[in-house]
Amino acid sequence: MKQIRYILFWITAFSLFFSSGPSAAGIATDETGRRVTVPDDPRRVVSFAPSITEIIFALGREDRLKGVSRFSDFPPEATRLPSVGSYIRLDLEKIVALRPDLCFATKDGNPKHVVTRLSALGIPVYVVNPKNLEAVMTTIHRIGGVLNAGPKADAIIQQMHTRISRVRSMVAKASTRPRVFFQIEISPIVSVGESTLINELIEIAGGINLAKGPTPYPRFSREQVLALAPEVLIITSMARGGRFEAVKREWGRWPSIPAVRNHRILMVDSNLFDRPSPRLVDALEILARLIHPGLFEGEK
Amino acid sequence: MDLKRPLLLRRLSMVSLLLLFLLIAALFLGISIGSTGSGIGQGLATLFDGKDADAMGHTIIWQIRFPRVLLAILVGGTLSLGGLVFQALLRNPLAEPYILGISSGSGIGAIIGILAGFSRFPGVSATAFAGSMGTLLLLFVMSSGQAMLKKDTLLLSGVMVNAFCAALIMFLMSVTQDSRLHNIIFWLMGDLSTADLHQVGILAAVLIPGFVLLFCLSNAMNLLLMGRELAQTMGLNIKAATVTLLVATSFMVSLTVANCGPIGFVGLVMPHVLRLAFGPDHRILVPASILGGGTYMVLCDLLARTLPDQGEMPAGVITAMIGVPLFIILLKKSGR
Repeated sequence: MKQIRYILFWITAFSLFFSSGPSAAGIATDETGRRVTVPDDPRRVVSFAPSITEIIFALGREDRLKGVSRFSDFPPEATRLPSVGSYIRLDLEKIVALRPDLCFATKDGNPKHVVTRLSALGIPVYVVNPKNLEAVMTTIHRIGGVLNAGPKADAIIQQMHTRISRVRSMVAKASTRPRVFFQIEISPIVSVGESTLINELIEIAGGINLAKGPTPYPRFSREQVLALAPEVLIITSMARGGRFEAVKREWGRWPSIPAVRNHRILMVDSNLFDRPSPRLVDALEILARLIHPGLFEGEK
Repeated sequence: MDLKRPLLLRRLSMVSLLLLFLLIAALFLGISIGSTGSGIGQGLATLFDGKDADAMGHTIIWQIRFPRVLLAILVGGTLSLGGLVFQALLRNPLAEPYILGISSGSGIGAIIGILAGFSRFPGVSATAFAGSMGTLLLLFVMSSGQAMLKKDTLLLSGVMVNAFCAALIMFLMSVTQDSRLHNIIFWLMGDLSTADLHQVGILAAVLIPGFVLLFCLSNAMNLLLMGRELAQTMGLNIKAATVTLLVATSFMVSLTVANCGPIGFVGLVMPHVLRLAFGPDHRILVPASILGGGTYMVLCDLLARTLPDQGEMPAGVITAMIGVPLFIILLKKSGR
């Protein structure tokens, strides 16, 4: 009797051990709570957003990637992969033609009806929802798990944590928190509110986001920006096309703004700041240097 | 309705068969060509080889393209028929199915649905449909009683309601600041890409009886165009005919717009083209509108899908760009 109990114990322990592993086999739950049947070893993966493409390349699993969304431009190798349409307007036919065994979609942006129809056609779609820095790291972890690249995912996350902590500790030494206005659109003037990635980055980088509020992308009139008197004005290149000089000149007409007086109008690459990918930490470091140039003098 | 006259029956059969043939050809082209360019040869092959030969190609053709082409036929047919009916009812050649505020009313409903976070089907379709029905109700209240039978009252009320709703739509769009704005814009441009067989089946089940009903009323439309007094002396119950035509057509057009957004121009131009080609008898024009409108929509949608390098154009762009020259040519030829 004791021997049977002994054997039963080990069988139970074994099965518990294997079934509590990450979502590498069978049914997984994606980041929106959907149950997705994920293949054990996905060989033909399609990414529906540039951020997901970046994550897959960072995990070293680009050999499995057979199709990407249209503006997947990082790393440069991604531009050579077949496009399945822009991430707000996916082409169902092109996706099906690639015969994927797994697709990755993002909750914010990808059209839900495409996800529904692909699932109805038997193509599993794993939806992620990287809405802040923590969530980005969770997404990297989960995509890593699904693509059997767990160790690499953990390494990336570890590095991100380290770099973020470093920025936090450097910024803690600053005596002030400059007032920052982050402009993502020229006409109308649009900035970023509470629930955005950029807002989080500004705060970690030791700045005060003047546009912080419940509206994710609030609009401002020039008057309102004057009244806010930002000390640092950052403009993203999404307001595209070499218009930065023109925009800078336009702001130059209002020297009552501290940022204009002190020549602290700066441009950043929108792809780094908008995409919930590992490069967000690059964005954070750039932002910290822009907001607190004195702290980082003498560094590489 | 006297279909026993051999001449009429023969003309009807000839026109219908011709257009049916064109429709089937368009259907075939529609399922054979797409963004992955399966090609006409492969289209033929899937008809005969069955599922195993090429599962992926089969899926693309029958699960993705076929529902879309069917939807295009239903939408094109309904919109053309809607235009035909309104042109007869309002005795105005500029009338088109959206003239009574259906498109802008459903636009408001759709925007509310999108802002509330509903998915396209059934959520947004339901709110869009509710929106257009609401606008129509408003219209009926505004032009109630005898006024409804005076064609100008209905028309003017419709134009006013349209203008008001359009302004409201612009307002709603201006205050939407996030990614839902994209959804709204795409909805307003008209979009046949969300079709699936289930949805198309439901739509067909409602629209096809509607087509039959309107065919039965086609002689009534002939009489209405002759003017009230003449129609009455011919034994037509004007009020009943007007109300039935109005309600049935509005219902059908609303259903269409609720599903795919407002696709313009088909309803305006197709009735005129067909009238120039086949004459003014509605008993021939009703089936011709359904078949001809369907064919036209399939071809326009095909071009909308395949012309751009990346992505697709709104179908409404093509319907206008092709429809206008076509109409002008036919107009010149008829010597008007």
